[in-house]
Amino acid sequence: MSRFSSGATEGRLEIERVAITGVGVISPGAIGAEAFGQLLRSGEPAVKAIERFDTGGLKAATAGLLTEFKPREFIAVAKMRRMNMLSRIAMGAARLALDDSRFAERGYGRSDVGVAVGTMFGPVQTSLDYMKEYVERGAALAPPQLFAESVANAPGSHLAIEHGFEGFNITFTQRESSFLAALMYAASQIVKGTLPAALAVGVDELSEMTYGVLDRIGALAHPSSSGPEEMRPFDRSRNGMTVGEGGVCLTLEKPGAAAAWCRISGFGMSRDTTASLSDWGSGSAAVRRAMETAIDDAGLTAADIDAVFASANGSVKADRLEGRALVELFGERLPPVVAAKAYFGEYAGASGLHVAAAALALKEQLLPVTPGFSQMDEAIAFQPNLELRQLPLRHLLVNSVSAGGGVVVAVLSRSAE
Amino acid sequence: MRPPDRSIRLAVTGLGVVCAIGRNQHEVWSSILASRDGISSLSHFPGESFPTTLAAEVAGDPYEQAGVTRSAAKRMSRTDLLAIAAAREALAQAGGAESLPLDGMIVSSGTSTGGLLEGEGYFFTHRRSGVLRSPASAVLQQPTSGPSDAVASALGIGGGVVSNATACASAGAAIGVAADLIRSGQAVAALAGGSDALCRLTYSGFNVLQAVDPERCTPFGASRQGITLGEGAGYLVIERLDDALARGATILAEISGYGASCDAHHPTAPAEDGRGAAAAMRAALEDGRLTISEVDYINAHGTGTLLNDSAETRAIESISGGSIPVSSSKSFFGHTLGAAGGIEAVVTVLALMNGIAPPTLRLDQAADDCTLDYVPNTPRALAMSGALSNTFGFGGSNVSLLFRRYGGTIGD
Repeated sequence: MSRFSSGATEGRLEIERVAITGVGVISPGAIGAEAFGQLLRSGEPAVKAIERFDTGGLKAATAGLLTEFKPREFIAVAKMRRMNMLSRIAMGAARLALDDSRFAERGYGRSDVGVAVGTMFGPVQTSLDYMKEYVERGAALAPPQLFAESVANAPGSHLAIEHGFEGFNITFTQRESSFLAALMYAASQIVKGTLPAALAVGVDELSEMTYGVLDRIGALAHPSSSGPEEMRPFDRSRNGMTVGEGGVCLTLEKPGAAAAWCRISGFGMSRDTTASLSDWGSGSAAVRRAMETAIDDAGLTAADIDAVFASANGSVKADRLEGRALVELFGERLPPVVAAKAYFGEYAGASGLHVAAAALALKEQLLPVTPGFSQMDEAIAFQPNLELRQLPLRHLLVNSVSAGGGVVVAVLSRSAE
Repeated sequence: MRPPDRSIRLAVTGLGVVCAIGRNQHEVWSSILASRDGISSLSHFPGESFPTTLAAEVAGDPYEQAGVTRSAAKRMSRTDLLAIAAAREALAQAGGAESLPLDGMIVSSGTSTGGLLEGEGYFFTHRRSGVLRSPASAVLQQPTSGPSDAVASALGIGGGVVSNATACASAGAAIGVAADLIRSGQAVAALAGGSDALCRLTYSGFNVLQAVDPERCTPFGASRQGITLGEGAGYLVIERLDDALARGATILAEISGYGASCDAHHPTAPAEDGRGAAAAMRAALEDGRLTISEVDYINAHGTGTLLNDSAETRAIESISGGSIPVSSSKSFFGHTLGAAGGIEAVVTVLALMNGIAPPTLRLDQAADDCTLDYVPNTPRALAMSGALSNTFGFGGSNVSLLFRRYGGTIGD
């Protein structure tokens, strides 16, 4: 079914693109886009044993952790005191992206720039910190500063205040699709003509409570007879995801405004109605529909897609669902598939770091390998890209398939600049 | 990518609302016509000690109204259930699953706290009994994507889900986001709005910020001291006007546009001059291709805090000169945080449909810095063609929605 059922839209509006002019990355194992590229070229995940809290009694004990992030390198100390870790990560990623794109040289006015943030767990740790004070000091004496930071849009607010961005400021929270939802909105406002530039930011931090709960429901990769604890996207022996923390920021502008990493060409969305509230379903047709919509929105066909940056995170159901959808869409002409989340973990940059990885691939025309894969799952029937290779990449599909059924897909294209 | 096409007209064909003054749109409108608020003693958290004691609570267990099974409800938060109840009413008014393309329909929700109430329960159990005796399901209810996921799951919606947590501007943003997704062809129709349940963290937090009025809130009043916290949910069914007419739907109103802005000023306080709020209203007018002279009523954010009401007054004066009637529905059902934009959008559409401006209750004397016509205490018959609904949030996020009375013909 065409999504453009009323006919008035079809063929009337010019298909437009949005340029990604800057990339800022605060990733496990990499601060900055250059280091991020080195991480992806290494083929080795930046996953470590957790030391900041006790994992005794849990099946899992590793995560993609920010161990090299020094907020003071990005934020004045006096301001930093008023920010939780989520805000600090977002500020760091934004600083890197703004510098990378030489954003200040364009001379945008205060109302010319909007901010869209994506986060999965948001300020869960801050809420826990607040509740601890609530219990220990009383409901009337908990610290107001913690309350101010307990809203999910605190990072976006700090970004706006720091840089004077008075355009839209919205924080999206759609599980594994959080960052792509934010990116979709920010890009749509540029092609709509609301404003000429925007920041799309993704951010998440690891908290003991969410890690423990994910472990208890069996969502996390853990040691088994098949091997050590490891995120193994699309692999037959996969048994869960590894979670990560971190931030990503992309500066978005009209094409031609500045040198671009790549362009955003299209989006698609859908929902798998077979999904439960907190798990993936089996409705591959919905995932396929989102991919088809994104390709159509980009004015392309499936044959134009040169590689896929998959949402796959090592979860048995999620990877099977996405894998089937890819096979249904592309058949025997399936392009190389990269599951980049294995490098830094699910939720890192609210599942936006793999979008940065796709942008990097287009810029460098270099496709990274998928770590953790050794045996093909017959139910998926393909193996992901296992070789670091230079190849012409024109258009990439970037997927996010969420627990609960939400799907958002983007098409990124090689820059014409 | 296809841009949102401003020339596409959008119809509101369904309304759903649950809040302290009613469990559906008819009860809510009856309470407004009777100038009857829903504020009383806080009962949700027995044994807790807060400096203030009032709240605008939704009566009863929302699971019954949500129309889901007990076992399904156990996996949902109170915020989710409130959302389903409101969304179900809106979908039914729009014609139900039989006449709407659920496969192409999306859910766009805003919430500030999501399932934080249940998360607090987990926190207390964890603290008292340890991790192994704490039910993980309580935390699974916490994500702020919960309302969208729950509504889509309960109603069988397959076009997509999108959630935002932009503090008190959340539901307004959700409606704006949905409008653009329809206008860009990403969605055929949308259930858009928001939901929030009262929880300890916000009740305590606004108290420690000294932003809660110990008496029932008096937005724009000389004696105002802050907000009264409330809870609830409000959703709209939005679709293309030509689609709605083609399927014979009743058009309740048009949503002509929305505007979003940020003060970039302070994490919790608005810019005193109201510039961000004014920018959002101007952007809504531009998006809807209307002028301020075509706006006859403004449903204000009107929280009752000293700073908000003064700044919003400045903002409205700057765009309109101060002649348009303005009122705060929060005087009826409190500040419902992330749900406010949804509930107040429903009230704004009801006002347009009925030609009646809802009043601001308890407004015996406006403050010196609140110099507009706030429709004090009793509803007012008012011929309206256009209306704005404002919601502003922590972090300086502002959203203004522009609605228009439907004239009855596509060429109107």
